[in-house]
Amino acid sequence: MKLSTLLLRIVLACAALMVLLPLLWTLLNAFKTNADLLVNTPKLIFTPVWDNMQYVLGRRSVARALTNSLVICSSAVAMGALLGVPAAYVIARVKNRLTREAQFFALSLRFLPPVAVAIPMMVIWLGLGFYDTRFALIVTYMTITISITVWLSIPAFERVPIAVEEAARVDRLGPYATFFRVALPIARPQILAAIAFSFILVWNEFLLAMMLSTSKARTLPVVASEMSQLGMNVPWGVLNAAVVLLSLPPLILLAVAGAGMNSVFSRKSTQD
Amino acid sequence: MATVECRNLCKSYGSHEVIRNFNLSISDHEFIVFLGPSGCGKSTILRMVAGLEEITGGDLFIGGARVNDRDPGDRGIAMVFQNYALYPHMSVRENITFALERAGTSRDEIRRRLDPVVETLGLDIYLGRKPTELSGGQQQRVAIARAMIKTPEVFLFDEPLSNLDAKLRGHLRVEIARLHRALNTTSVYVTHDQLEAMTLADRIVLMNQGRIEQMGTPEEIYSRPATVFTAGFIGTPSMNFFSLDAGEGRLRNADIDLAAPFPLRAGKVTLGIRPGAIRLVPEGTPDAIAATVERDEFHGDMRLISLNAGAESFMVSVPAATRLSEGERVLAHLDPASLHVFDAESGQRLGD
Ligand SMILES: Nc1ncnc2c1ncn2[C@@H]1O[C@H](COP(=O)(O)OP(=O)(O)OP(=O)(O)O)[C@@H](O)[C@H]1O
Ligand SMILES: [Mg+2]
Repeated sequence: MKLSTLLLRIVLACAALMVLLPLLWTLLNAFKTNADLLVNTPKLIFTPVWDNMQYVLGRRSVARALTNSLVICSSAVAMGALLGVPAAYVIARVKNRLTREAQFFALSLRFLPPVAVAIPMMVIWLGLGFYDTRFALIVTYMTITISITVWLSIPAFERVPIAVEEAARVDRLGPYATFFRVALPIARPQILAAIAFSFILVWNEFLLAMMLSTSKARTLPVVASEMSQLGMNVPWGVLNAAVVLLSLPPLILLAVAGAGMNSVFSRKSTQD
Repeated sequence: MATVECRNLCKSYGSHEVIRNFNLSISDHEFIVFLGPSGCGKSTILRMVAGLEEITGGDLFIGGARVNDRDPGDRGIAMVFQNYALYPHMSVRENITFALERAGTSRDEIRRRLDPVVETLGLDIYLGRKPTELSGGQQQRVAIARAMIKTPEVFLFDEPLSNLDAKLRGHLRVEIARLHRALNTTSVYVTHDQLEAMTLADRIVLMNQGRIEQMGTPEEIYSRPATVFTAGFIGTPSMNFFSLDAGEGRLRNADIDLAAPFPLRAGKVTLGIRPGAIRLVPEGTPDAIAATVERDEFHGDMRLISLNAGAESFMVSVPAATRLSEGERVLAHLDPASLHVFDAESGQRLGD
């Protein structure tokens, strides 16, 4: 092996450790007793306990938050996919002023600072009487899921060779059949990754959730953060357990859709 | 099987006119090749026939029916694309049978039609593979199979072989010719490869800047080019041209003086002659041009010699065994029967 390769490998390994160690630490701490946690030399060998997890899962607020998070995020993501994927297809295939504007608008939604969205939304939902409901959060989150799905699906559809769609037209497929039978299956890995990514974004969303809910519609990130204020003694074990629970769905999604996700963010075409 | 007729077809992109008043009538069973330089509008016309490109003006008839407003799927055509355009998510078998399935053809019928097509194109062992697992030549064979199984009225090919290497191209060209002999389906084939055009076409439509430059059998186009453009475009190595003044039964300029092959009105003409119709002759031959050898290219079966005669330079092809050294003085004789004379201004052929 060349020296430069070796050095690069070492740099890479260090970078990987920097990311992975804290995560691993969190995972370990989630299963420690407070006594094992609060020692000066960190323990790697210890008897794992389920207490923290049990405490977190056992709390009524957590169970409710978990349901809230699942319902709100999946609904927002489902609606985002339902509206965003066809929209992305049209934007990718019909090039005119309107679709160019639409494409940029989808992206520009993400330029807004979350607070700038949260405050007017709060006023609107209060006014309509939907404040602190799942419905309000779902609709608010749809601005995120739709824009992300649209934005990431456009390149996926653009990579479907136009000639293949023309071949489909010659094979007597109408526009809908071309979309469902040809374009969508070809772009599927990237589309799924785009949808998964939008799920992760809203699953991790904190600020909007905090400002648009007080109790009934609280989501998991908000509830987890509240645990740090449980008392004078910060319950580190419980906190870590909450973080582990919170991280699981995105990690699972990443494992499932990771490959596609990589190609969503790279410009390289897989077709040719 | 059907006839195709283009009546005054026009195509504009915005205000940019690409095709203007294109007229062509293709008879049943005919194999027509559109040939022309890049950007001359070959693909545009083919795509208008296919229905993939909107027709701006004029009428298109397939099998006697006006099809301007019909969808591609309802025109009775099948198309083979330059970059194959196979469905990447389907197996070879699904690619071939997809259109039939969509049309509601019964399973037995599909199987009955699949077998001969697969056999003709030698695709049996690839049926289960995905297109990405095939070579370019195999992919194009699948694309041809996909078109064939539909038993269309008209086959359309848009440079089907141009993404393949030279050897494979030759091979598939022969295969397409064989298929056409067997099926006898009316075909329109776009290419910028002369060899493909010459070998496949019943009739070549030579295009230039959105117009038909000349139309005819390969022999006609090669031996009686109607314009300077055709003469220069067809044939490898390409034709030599000289600018000459006609008068008193002679064609001449400062360096060349020849007997005119037929009576000509006085005026400027362009004289064309293929490198193969020029011979090197011994001293004393009348009407020979004195020239010096500039370059000698070995082409395997012959040599292509560049000659200089004063300000004129031209190419001569000679047998490969001929030995000439650079700077050598030779006499070149132009075969009077192989001279092509064109009006210098209009570029149109003069005489017969
Ligand atoms: N979508 C378009 N918008 C504007 N002009 C176009 C469009 N498509 C084609 N053209 C123009 O139409 C002309 C003919 O194009 P066409 O593709 O038919 O050429 P071609 O003969 O097939 O060339 P090639 O051998 O390179 O494929 C070209 O000058 C091209 O610039
Ligand atoms: Mg073309």
